[in-house]
Parts: sequence; structure tokens; C-alpha cells
Amino acid sequence: MFIFERRESVPLRLKIMIPIISIIIGLIIGAIAILFLNVDPLQVYKAILIGSFGSRYAFTETLVFATPLILLTSGLILVYRMGFWNIGAYGQYIMGAVFSSYFAIFGSPDLPKFSMLFIMICAALLGGAFWAFIPAFLKALWDVNEVITTLLLNYIALSILRYFMYGPWRDPTGLGFPLSKQFPLNAQLPRIIPNSRVNLGLIFGIIAAVIIWFIINKTKFGYELRVIGGNPRAARYAGINVASKIIIAMLISGALAGLAGMVQVSGVLRVLQIEISPEYGYTALITSWLSYLNPLIGIFVSILFGAFTAGGYLIQITMNVPYGIIPLIESVILFMLIGGEIFKNYKISYLKRSF
Amino acid sequence: MKNIILSAKDITKHFPGILANDHINFDLYEGEIHSILGENGAGKTTFMNILDGLYIPDEGEIYIKGKKAKILSPIDAMNYGIGMIHQHFMLVDTLTVLENVILGLKDQGIFINESNISKKINEISEKYNFKINPKAKIWQLSLGEQQRVEIIKMLIRGANILILDEPTAVLTPQETDMLFDILQQLKSEGKSAIFISHKLEEVMDISDRITILRKGKVVGTVNKKDITITDLATMMVGREVFFSFEKKPLDTNEILLKIENLEGYNDRGVKTLKGLNLTIYRGEIFGIAGIGGNGQEELVEIITGLRKATKGKIFLKDIDITNSSPSTILKKGVSYIPSDRLKDGLIPNLTPLENSILKCYYKPPIYNRGIINYINAKKYTENLINEYNVMVPLMNAPVRLLSGGNLQKLLLAREISENPILLIAVHPTRGLDINATEFIRKKLLEVRNSGTTVLLISEDLDELLMISDRIGVIFNGKIVGIVNPNEVDIKDIGLMMGGSRYINNKEGEF
Repeated sequence: MFIFERRESVPLRLKIMIPIISIIIGLIIGAIAILFLNVDPLQVYKAILIGSFGSRYAFTETLVFATPLILLTSGLILVYRMGFWNIGAYGQYIMGAVFSSYFAIFGSPDLPKFSMLFIMICAALLGGAFWAFIPAFLKALWDVNEVITTLLLNYIALSILRYFMYGPWRDPTGLGFPLSKQFPLNAQLPRIIPNSRVNLGLIFGIIAAVIIWFIINKTKFGYELRVIGGNPRAARYAGINVASKIIIAMLISGALAGLAGMVQVSGVLRVLQIEISPEYGYTALITSWLSYLNPLIGIFVSILFGAFTAGGYLIQITMNVPYGIIPLIESVILFMLIGGEIFKNYKISYLKRSF
Repeated sequence: MKNIILSAKDITKHFPGILANDHINFDLYEGEIHSILGENGAGKTTFMNILDGLYIPDEGEIYIKGKKAKILSPIDAMNYGIGMIHQHFMLVDTLTVLENVILGLKDQGIFINESNISKKINEISEKYNFKINPKAKIWQLSLGEQQRVEIIKMLIRGANILILDEPTAVLTPQETDMLFDILQQLKSEGKSAIFISHKLEEVMDISDRITILRKGKVVGTVNKKDITITDLATMMVGREVFFSFEKKPLDTNEILLKIENLEGYNDRGVKTLKGLNLTIYRGEIFGIAGIGGNGQEELVEIITGLRKATKGKIFLKDIDITNSSPSTILKKGVSYIPSDRLKDGLIPNLTPLENSILKCYYKPPIYNRGIINYINAKKYTENLINEYNVMVPLMNAPVRLLSGGNLQKLLLAREISENPILLIAVHPTRGLDINATEFIRKKLLEVRNSGTTVLLISEDLDELLMISDRIGVIFNGKIVGIVNPNEVDIKDIGLMMGGSRYINNKEGEF
């Protein structure tokens, strides 16, 4: 029979092995799903690898997909550190894209590029922060469960985007497709690697990750966040104003998610449309936990998941394997990661009964 | 000659960095109450958890009625007739007594015969004079009653060896007496009990034999009849213990804290403070005696700003602090040692450093323009730890791994180091061993002698009598009397705690 013994502390070896094994199990289960399509999973994984790291172009695509993830992950880590379970990054991302697109669509194309982008970035930060403010405010004031509010706000954000795309913001020359008009040149975020879609957003992401790391580990605010995350009662009694910290942290988190949305529409798509992300807002939940809530590790985990996405698009085109395999693998990884907690909390050994 | 029912041979258990149990040998007779005495960290709880199957020993064997037993889980332990009553009860608060008892029963099939079990509960309840209603919800019961539910659970499951881990830590003196009566009755029926404690008087009161543990080793097993309390203390601590403290006479009658007609509600919406009046003078230790749940918790939380008063006023040095925010009150020099260290006072998953700076992280030298200077914070923490003799094996490990005594020392160090004008200490020595208790009491007197006022809330009357300058008794949301610890008869305090006597004087008016 199996024996469960409580662990006093978690060995480093386990901390490293659990995410790795989680990824491996995710890949194995993905392989089983691929077998149902009568395709060789090894060929598919090889194609994913080639499609993400196999060439200069493939790698730039990986970075393109990683860019919004880095921003989203950094923002989520900040609030997860204080125990605020924001799953609304998806909606905050959409609002960032919507707010900034307004200026791209209706602003003057003659405005200097710097001013236009500056306005769009501010709009995105505001849009995301606004969407994050609602659940934070409800939590701070009436202790409304943030899991519910952030999740529901995602659907509202999606509906708002749909409304604009089927309604007032649709490109009249777009043959009826739910798309805005192409963003003018001054509303396009510059690309930083020639012959690729890698844009300035990547730099924003890395800067954001470093800043968030700094906030968490070095500042007074970050210390307060960790105290709140560790024990809100002790935080209150130490005189920390928990409500205001929740709101500030969520504003930052939402703003980064909004910026991610802007980076995607302005730097990659250059048009606002209904499909503006391969579910980045939810993938970022996984990357946050996979990086142990450390934004610097988050950069690399985001690149890994960017690779999944880049490779996933390739297999869809070249091997006729549906992209759905990728979210399947990703969600199995999250599942395993959460399941892996048991190994961190308990030492499990096998003992034969001798009677 | 009595039969040995349980025997442990050479039990050894390692934890990273410590040898928690080192070749422990232990025998339990049928129909005996055998105490295990030892300080915190002596290995008592580890040993009990091994007997209950929560830990697997690295070495050693357990024999039940002479046969080798393999106890790999609490279910195994139950099958051998071992039932453990943990310090923190394993009950579901929102369920009834009956439902909690059913929870642990096997062989229930799809339909549960509730009336049958209910009958059994009533039988046990009557037999031992438990006064437990099977339909009552757990949260409605006092801690003493909850403990009796745990005992019922174990008896219904057929336990004949009861392990009680510091069972009196949460009980009032009256409830403790009641528990001891129950144990005596169980003993007379041939059941055995292992009683874990570090309170010498209790151990002398209840046990037949006593096994003393120190640093994971058995120091000795003695018959109660053959030993004195002082010898027991020496065996436990490894040196002689003195309980005497020096107190400087008070030199002031300046009022520090004045509470007028205070009213407030508890979490369940019950009015627990019903017009409380209290005046505390600068530099005294004012003890509050009373049975838990008479408004102590609400009083403290209202003074510290964690709870709102619905009526009345609180003045700290003539400044009205009623319903101010915790941070405002904190900055006026009020420190607070809450009763539940890990729940209210410390952040279990953060390091000693992060816990130590909680009250000063916003001030230089630790704080500088938005940034926390972790180098200075480290120096600060190291000073605290050295000065208060906190044993911290690893500076980077979370504090939840520290023992109760060390947690309390760390908390006290943090709160005192800010030189408060008022220190509120709630059950500061509950669950601590002799060394830590002595240390904490000494420190409380030290801060008093240096001019800090202390509001001490404790259920331990000996402690209150030992270090307080005045003792107020709280009952039913009011101070029903204020006494001088040097003159009072302990029985009078007991009667006031139970609400059957009032002493009228200026502060105790109601």
C-alpha cells in the first residue's frame, strides 16, 4: 500500500522535476489524441519543434507568440503573489486591444507615429486597468469572489468586441467580414527584427517582467503583496490597507494585459478582429504557475508556450492536425502541475503489507 | 501484575536536520493513564503521530498485546483500538455532532442508520455525563464540548487506547476537571490513555505513570507516587526551574487607556460586549481573567482597530481611538500579540526575515524611497533573533517550520522592539513549554519595568496572579470585578469568572 507522509519542506529536485514531468505527461496525452487522427505523434512533435525552433523564421514566430504571454504572465504573477485569483486576463487583454484600436481606426493617420503609438499604449493600459478595476473594487468593497467576477467579465469583454466588429467599427470595404480597416502606418508598432513579425512588444514584455520582479522582491509594495498573499489577517493587523493594495495590484495587472492586447493588434495583426488571440488570457494562467510565480522564469516559460503555438499553427497547415491539440496539451500540463502539489506536500512511499 | 497493552521498542524518527525520536521505549498497561511529559520539540507529538500511523518510524517496532503491529495509517491504528485526539480537532464545523461521528464510521452501506448511531451517542453521553446533543452543530459547541465529541467518536469506533495531545491547552479549569473525571471513568473500565502535556500540575494530577522525554530521548519513566513536582520539572528541562519574577513598584497613576461603555458584536452577530468599562494606568500589567468567549477576543480586536465598536469610546492617553484603522492605532504605539500566532500574527510561508520586519518595513533604515533594504532588514532580523534567543535552523525556510515557542519568541521580539506604549498580549504562553513560558513572562515584566503598559489576557490564572499588577475578571461582556493579585483568593476569581459573584468598585461598575 502507499504511505503518505507530510513533508516539512520541498526538495529543490522536486520543484524542478514536477514541471518537467508535467510537460512530458502533457505531450504523452497529446500523442494519444494524435493517434486517433491516424497520424504519427512523433512526426507531429518533430513538426512542432521545426515550426518553433527549426529555422530563423520559425524562432521569430515563437517570439511573436511569446510576446503577449510574457506581458500577461508578468501581470498575473503580481496578483497571484497576493492571493488574488484573477482569471480575467482574457477580458483585460481584449479591452486593451479595443481601447487602443479606437485611436488606430478613428484617429488621424497624419499624427506623428510616436504620438499615435503613445496614445494607443496609454489607451491600452487604461482599458485593461479599467476592466481589472471592476472586480478589484468589488472585492475590496464587498468581498465579492474575484474568480466569478473576472471570469464573467471575460464574456462581457468578448461581447463588446463582437459588437464593434459586427457593428460600428466594421470596415465598410471589408466584404462583410467582422474586421476593422487596416491600421494606418502610424498606428503600427515597429518591428525590431527584419523579415519577421517580432515587434517592440517583446522589449515591453521583457522590461515589464523585470519591473514586476523588482516590485515583488525589492519594494515596500511588493513586500506588502507577499504578506497579504501569505496571511491577509496578519496583513490587516500589521496596518496594511489590504483593499487599496488589491486595487493597485489589479490595476497594474490589468494594464499589462491591456498592453498585451495592444501589442497583438498593433504589432502583429494590424487590424482589429474577433479572433485576436489563441486564448492567450488563459494560457497565461498556466505559464504563471509553471514559472513558480517568478516573472523572470516567466519569460522562458512564455517562450516555450509561444513555441507550442507557433508549432501548432504549422501542424494545422502542413499535417492537417487540428490546432486544438495544443490547448489540450497545455491544459493537461496545468492539470498535472496542480496534481503534482501532492508530491510537494507529501512524501509517498510504497510498503508491502507483511501480514 | 498488569498486562501490557501497547509497547513501543526503539522507535526512531528523523526529520531533515533533527532526530525527533531517538530509540524511544515505552510501555502502556491496561487501565492506566500514562503521561508523556516534555517540552516543545522534545518529540512528544512525533511519537504520538507514529503510534497513530501518521508518521512511519525509521526504526523500531510497536507491539499491541504482545503481537507486532504494523500501523501505517490512522485507520490501521483504529483497527488496533488506538484513537488519537489531536490538539486541533478533526471536526467539520458546519455539520452536526451526529454527522461528524458518522464520518469516521466504516461499514455503513448506502443507507445510514442515523437513529441507531444517535442512540449510541446518547448512551455514551449519559454514561460519562457529556451533555452533548447529537443534533447540535459543531460551531455551536465550546471547545470543551468539541473535545468530548472527539472522545465520543473514538469510543464509538471502539478505541481502548486513547491518545490525547495536549488536551487541556484549550480548556477552562472547570472543563479540565470534567475531562479528568471522564478519563478516570474510562480507566476504571479498563481502557488506557496516553496523556501528552507539559503542564506539571496536571500530569501529577491525572497520571499513574509518567514518561519524560527530552530532545527526542526518554529521560525516564516514573510512578507518580514516587516523584515530586520539582524533580519532574528538573527531569523535563534538564535544570532546576524557578518561577519567581522581580517587579518594580508602580510609580504612576497616569491613565493610559480608558474604555467607556463599550459594546460590540462577534462574527456570528451576537452581542458579546455589553457596556464594558475599564481604566488602565501607565506602566502596569493589567490581567484579564475569564472563560473564553466572554468578550475578550472582541475587546482586543476593537482596541486594535480590527473590529468595529457599536457603542462606547476608547481613549489612549486622552486621544479618542474608537474605530480608528489598525494602522492609525498601530502608529500610536499599540502592539498586539494575538492568541493564534500562525493565523493572525505571522505569515507561515514567509521567512523569519519577512516576518520580523512586518512592523517596521515602512521606516528607515529598512525602508528607503519605496525600496526595502534587505541588507539592513537582515541585520535587524539577526539582532532580534539573537536577543530573543529564537532558534532558527534555516534563515530561508518558512516560519511555519519553527516550533511554537520559537514562533512566539519571534512574534514577541517583533512587537516589543517597536517600543510600544501599550502591549496587548493574548494567551502569550498558551501551548509553550516551561523554558519558553518563563522567557515570555520575564520579557513581559521587563517591558513593564521599562514603562510599557501591558494588557494581558490569559486563561491561565497562575500566570495572571504571577505577573499582573491588577486583574480584572470579564464575564458576559463586562468587567465584573478588579482584584489585587497579592490579596485575592483564587476561588473568588473562579466565582466571578462563572458569573456568580460581582465586586463593585469604580472600574468594575456596570
